[in-house]
Amino acid sequence: MTAPAFADAISSGLMKVVREMDLTGEDFATARGLITTTHLDQIGFQRFAPDVTAFLDRGGRWIYHGHILRPILAELGIYRSIPNPKRPDFVQARLHDHPIFAGIDQKMLETNRGVAGFYGRGHNPPPPGAVVINVLGPAQTPVDWVWARPQGGELLSHAGNEFWGCGDDPEIRKQLAGRAVAWLAGELN
Amino acid sequence: MTILAIHPGAYYHIETLEAPRYAHHFDVLVRPEDLPSVDLGKHAVVFIPCRTPADRLAPHAAQLRAYLDQGGTIVATGETNWDVFLPGINFTPQPTNWWWWLTPGADLGVRVASAGHSLFRRLGQDDLTWHLHGWFDPPDGAEVLAVNGEGKPILYVDEVTTPGRMIITSLDPCFHHGSHFMPATTRFLDGFLPWMREELDGAQTK
Repeated sequence: MTAPAFADAISSGLMKVVREMDLTGEDFATARGLITTTHLDQIGFQRFAPDVTAFLDRGGRWIYHGHILRPILAELGIYRSIPNPKRPDFVQARLHDHPIFAGIDQKMLETNRGVAGFYGRGHNPPPPGAVVINVLGPAQTPVDWVWARPQGGELLSHAGNEFWGCGDDPEIRKQLAGRAVAWLAGELN
Repeated sequence: MTILAIHPGAYYHIETLEAPRYAHHFDVLVRPEDLPSVDLGKHAVVFIPCRTPADRLAPHAAQLRAYLDQGGTIVATGETNWDVFLPGINFTPQPTNWWWWLTPGADLGVRVASAGHSLFRRLGQDDLTWHLHGWFDPPDGAEVLAVNGEGKPILYVDEVTTPGRMIITSLDPCFHHGSHFMPATTRFLDGFLPWMREELDGAQTK
């Protein structure tokens, strides 16, 4: 977590940061939004499958970062990396103006110091019905998508490091982090 | 004998420890929390991958120490707080320059310090060069295998602190290999893991 980007949300009580080993079912039962970082212990997180399912069932929103290698929901698939990627495979394009990304030039997230590949290098397979937000390269690799789960809740998947840590523009990073919190809180739709 | 790896469960651990490229180098995968149920003495090597959260190993420091005291070998890679679960660690972090290679002709400064060591039959200097997170001040008598640009140890073998052996590095190959990023980290593991199997576990690689 890039804590400074969330300092206001944390100090106001809107967000709390919980170490994964300290998580309890109560944390899921009392939250309306969930962020899991790219460093998630995906094996350990399996123990919360019923809690995550219940959280989504009642309309929770979840932003997932990283490569899914232990799906916690049956509809989720295993991460696929782009084989032998070259620079053109990292060109980013927006397919859907999700409110977190709307109005932000996706090209601004394509490189850090001129180097591409930090944003994502593959994709988590979108479940049926998911809406692809951002894609990579000519293969249109769905690096970002959002899925309105039929049973309730929404999952936004970003197959890379936290997206508010990408790109070189600090204002865009801050904007993305703020919008992520607002979306999770149901204030941005 | 066998090699046991600690498995903290992040995607880069799963990719490194379980994917076909390296899975055959690890005989047993154990979650940190399950260590008390394991007899470490049955294993020639305990491998601790980079970015293992130190607070998940801290409760098991005594068990790891007992394993070292009976002659065991622990290999631990970077980006963790080794000192909370291993003895004799003195580490100084340094700001990481992720971008050094953007300067034409730049040299990160990593050097092999013990060219005759068996590890360097499998690894070259370039295979240890991606970026730096800090250096160690190993105890007298430890064998330094690689250093940073200031000559400070970044990879060493400590057979003096305990009756066992600790092979410690601040390099973080598992994270980057498991992220499908930085080819040097994959080259490092391509050389290091067969060496670990052959030299530390005593098996012949196929």
